[in-house]
Amino acid sequence: MSTPEINADINAGINADIDADLDAGTSDQQDGRERLVVVGNGMAATRLVEQLVANGYPGHVTVLGDEEVPAYNRILLSAVLEGTHDRDAITLRRGDWFAEHGIDLRLGSRVLAVDRDYGDVMLVDGTTIPFDRLVLATGSIPTLPPMRGLIRHDGSLHPRVHAFRSVADCEGLDEAVTARPGSRAVVVGGGLLGLQVARALSLRGLQVEVVEATEHLLSRQVDEAGAKVLRRSLTKLGTTVYTGARVTRLVDPPSGGSVTDDGPVGLQLDNGFVLETDLVVLTAGGRPSTALARGAGLEVRRGIVVDDTLTSVTDGRISAIGDCAQHGGVVHGFVAPAWEQASVLANRLCGGDVTHAGSRVVARLRATDLDVAVLGDPVGADGEVVEVSNPLAGKHSRLVVQDGRIVAASLVGDLSRVGIITQHYDHGTVLGIKEHGDLLLPDVVPTPTVLPDEAEVCACAGVTAGAIRACTSLEHVKESTRATTGCGGCANACRDLLAEKLGAPVGGTGGTRPHAAFTTA
Amino acid sequence: MTTLSTGPDTTVNTHCPYCSLQCGMKLQPGRAAGRPTLEVLPWAEFPVNEGGLCRKGWTSTGLRGSRERLTTPLVRDRETGALAAATWDEALDLVAGRIAGIQDEHGKDGVAIFGGGGLTNEKAYQLGKFARVALGTSQIDYNGRWCMSSAASAGTRTFGVDRGLPFPLADVEQADLVLLVGSNMAETMPPAARHLDRCRDNGGKVVVIDPRVTSTAERADVVVQPVPGTDLVLALGLLHLVIAGGHVDTEYVESRTHGFQAVADSVAAWWPERVERVTGVSADELRALADLVVSTRRVMILTARGAEQHATGSDTVLAWLDLALALGLPGRPFAGYGCLTGQGNGQGGREHGQKNDQLPGYRMLVDPAAREHVAGVWGVDPDSLPGPGRSAYELLDALGTDAGPKALLVFGSNIVVSSPNATHVEDRLNSLDLLVVCDIVMSETAAMADVVLPVTQWAEETGTMTNLEGRVILRRQAVAPPRGVHSDLDVISGLAERLKAPITFSTDPEEVFEELGRASAGGKADYAGISYERIDAEQGVFWPCPSPAHPGTPRMFTERFAHPDGRARMHVVEHRGTAEPVDAEYPLHLTTGRILAQYQSGAQTRRITDLPDDGAFLEMHPVLAARLGIADGDPVTVSTRRGRLQAPARVVPTIRHDTVFAPFHWLGVNRLTNDALDPASRMPEFKVCAAAVEAQA
Repeated sequence: MSTPEINADINAGINADIDADLDAGTSDQQDGRERLVVVGNGMAATRLVEQLVANGYPGHVTVLGDEEVPAYNRILLSAVLEGTHDRDAITLRRGDWFAEHGIDLRLGSRVLAVDRDYGDVMLVDGTTIPFDRLVLATGSIPTLPPMRGLIRHDGSLHPRVHAFRSVADCEGLDEAVTARPGSRAVVVGGGLLGLQVARALSLRGLQVEVVEATEHLLSRQVDEAGAKVLRRSLTKLGTTVYTGARVTRLVDPPSGGSVTDDGPVGLQLDNGFVLETDLVVLTAGGRPSTALARGAGLEVRRGIVVDDTLTSVTDGRISAIGDCAQHGGVVHGFVAPAWEQASVLANRLCGGDVTHAGSRVVARLRATDLDVAVLGDPVGADGEVVEVSNPLAGKHSRLVVQDGRIVAASLVGDLSRVGIITQHYDHGTVLGIKEHGDLLLPDVVPTPTVLPDEAEVCACAGVTAGAIRACTSLEHVKESTRATTGCGGCANACRDLLAEKLGAPVGGTGGTRPHAAFTTA
Repeated sequence: MTTLSTGPDTTVNTHCPYCSLQCGMKLQPGRAAGRPTLEVLPWAEFPVNEGGLCRKGWTSTGLRGSRERLTTPLVRDRETGALAAATWDEALDLVAGRIAGIQDEHGKDGVAIFGGGGLTNEKAYQLGKFARVALGTSQIDYNGRWCMSSAASAGTRTFGVDRGLPFPLADVEQADLVLLVGSNMAETMPPAARHLDRCRDNGGKVVVIDPRVTSTAERADVVVQPVPGTDLVLALGLLHLVIAGGHVDTEYVESRTHGFQAVADSVAAWWPERVERVTGVSADELRALADLVVSTRRVMILTARGAEQHATGSDTVLAWLDLALALGLPGRPFAGYGCLTGQGNGQGGREHGQKNDQLPGYRMLVDPAAREHVAGVWGVDPDSLPGPGRSAYELLDALGTDAGPKALLVFGSNIVVSSPNATHVEDRLNSLDLLVVCDIVMSETAAMADVVLPVTQWAEETGTMTNLEGRVILRRQAVAPPRGVHSDLDVISGLAERLKAPITFSTDPEEVFEELGRASAGGKADYAGISYERIDAEQGVFWPCPSPAHPGTPRMFTERFAHPDGRARMHVVEHRGTAEPVDAEYPLHLTTGRILAQYQSGAQTRRITDLPDDGAFLEMHPVLAARLGIADGDPVTVSTRRGRLQAPARVVPTIRHDTVFAPFHWLGVNRLTNDALDPASRMPEFKVCAAAVEAQA
């Protein structure tokens, strides 16, 4: 809220509308609490509201979600498609949670316009909702490639073509896959989402091809060598990849017949190929959803321009977070920055003075049998590059290092050290000169050595190897030294020491065994 | 003194003086070369340890006849500052007189008591009664607050009752999968590891979650090494995968719990790759672990200090409890959740009224019915009982301040070694008008006292303990105490009498135990049906045991939980992170723990010549050592915002690259640790803080 004067104007201007349209608004008007309207019910908006509740925000909150379903975890949609995640398990917050915390949640509410003069938002059904503070968390919308035949006269996508952004998209695609087992699919876009969808469809039994417009897969995240490794891995998994190829139009299927609503279609590529397929999935990027902000006259470049307080540089009452926001010249498409922004904004709305200094992004490909992690911007970041590449083994790891710190990284095919590398990246740890290289190499397994007599074998009883060697049998060990009778962990070591002396294995069970798995950290 | 049930030269069945396993042992008094001896022999029939002991147990009689034992009261001379011998009457008269003076000037709460999780049930009970009735102070708490209080808080909220293990430890052997979260049982309670080994011999699997590959981890099938302080996120991530994969025990959740849906929705935000970023445990490892967890029915989740000693410790345990409940584990045979309590009487010590907010039988001090019942047993007016006081660290933090106590009586605790941010705690102790310490040796805390009172150790007295299973066991007196040494019960009684307490305090343990039984009757930890005779006859009795005819309760929750409606509660928990994140100045995680040859503050074990005492060390990974130019054995300095410690480096490949470890048995280590407290359990964050390490020039 900027000044009392503005506030008074708002109230004077809209009272009539409120009385006419909105019971809830009327009562809020009477109780004098700040009215906060959140446009969007996606991951950023949900986190914002959670944090507002956690911080005890005193105002009245209205959340406007254009989807009909409760807030859900969008990034798990490919896992739902693949079948590894229950659809129900991705729900973040249900209606009863909002009700319990006195939040006015309106699902299926598409906002038509923001009126800054009146200080309200209007829904497509004509309802207006006044605000003192407005948060735009409108996310992003899929970019549709310029492709003839894609959009039909009524504005809908061709029935063989699917976008993949919302749970409705996911369900639509799932139905199509279920209806045509073993069919063919072309995924347009070789970015993170495209590869996740491609793998999900493969695992559902489809024959999948990926078409990527740039020269290599994940071109925004990994270098060419890494992408080659990735492409080989995908090919091994049965997926064909076309790079440097754009989809230009939907055409008749090469096998004959013509484009119909329920038959196969052809996809014309700009390199001359025509791919015949039963399904097309568009994953080639998204752009910030900024139409409302533009319409309201807020400054928008790629995204809605906000300052370090996540407030629009045009209007102090309005904030933007998540995929639709542009902070420090950057628009993210990831959850972690959106949530960091949501936490900062919630703090400020509750009277705090935290500011947003930007985010470190770790992007992980969530695709079965494809291991990729991208930390920061390994393609664009300045620094010295430490790289280990083994295309034969399907591995390519690249660290970008400044002053000993890992400032960016891409790991393809080998994530055995992703945990510790991420920790170093997130904390800006200054590493030793050999350390970066060592992080990319496998551990050397030490060869077993002969224990010296003074080495302690049984910690429970404090018994040395020499004392064990002086015994004649395991029973003798127990009686004379008490080794193996405490925790029993030295039983195998004692057997080995006796066997070494006697030249034969000593029977019995129990004791230490090799690990099935180890975290390398 | 109690009558010995056996003759002076007969073998006595008793239990080890150290950890919560309370291993059965036999003590055999004898004579050799004209001197009395006391030999430890195995007690093979006791099921927890079956005759096995660690070196601490075998050498536990090492303080008998040691010149380290205190055998006379000591009073600090105000002129010289030196401690000088005094008679018991002189010492107790002095203490009582000073208490009366301080209470006259500063009110009843001007005097505080700090108890211990190693005290017998009888002592813990008498201490709580002494505080509330003889001193009339609300200011009493104990070092168990720093042991399993986070699990106690979480267990109470989830199940409605807190008993470390709701099943006998040997049930581990029949489990299909045991998850040890932050437990190094092979070192901290070695004989317990036999049950893990048998579990594996029976085809079960063991998972150890610890930033270090400990001796316990070495015998596990799967080892997971998360960033210190992130066990909570690991639990949320596992629950996420359990729900995503459709592995929730829906029937159980619907019929035996509340709150599942909200928890399920809250963990939708913890997908494996996000868990990976926080915990450092790769998404693939998490998935493999989840697959293991859902592949079998008899899953046992056991937490210990590694998970619990955090400012988020109680939430961490709640998260693991949510997982256990979603899988339908608690109450299922050979499955469930348990806390591996640490101190010898960590369980019993928290049940009988030495906690700041509790009365005997796990009754709450604010509950009028509880006050009335207990006051009735004590023969005092319920309104005369003070209300809840400060928790352990808050109590120490307040000592000598304007609003805080001016006198402190310490029983069975070596505060300056075991407290977090110990330099500050030393300052607080130094600011007191009166510090009285009862101990068997001149511990670091006793050395600061105005009055030191020499008390009996375990073999010299009789009393009950309640082990980590909730099994009430009996330690019989085996030998007479050294001349000049009295029991804590005598100290309490003597002071109460001098303070003109309205009631008398028995010094006979069995009599005290019978009274404790009446005081606990009807409470959650009900001991009413337990007697010394029954304990002897039944190798211990599991509480609750409300009447002599009741068999005791080895296994809880089979039919219902202890909330009034019989259902368990699930709780939404959020990841808040550690209280002190690493940064450029302090870039490493420091974690602390124990080693096999020492126990807690080391007051006893460091004085036993047969136990190696090599001092503190700093464990680090070779990668970190190379970065810092440190070789194994080099002296290093580890510093935090609270203090510095010099110690030799121990370079081992079994610890995370970004973490260093120091055992806390020696003075100095806890000068480094963080006193940030858990909001529910008031547990300090012992297990992680930000540290810097450098080689010494």
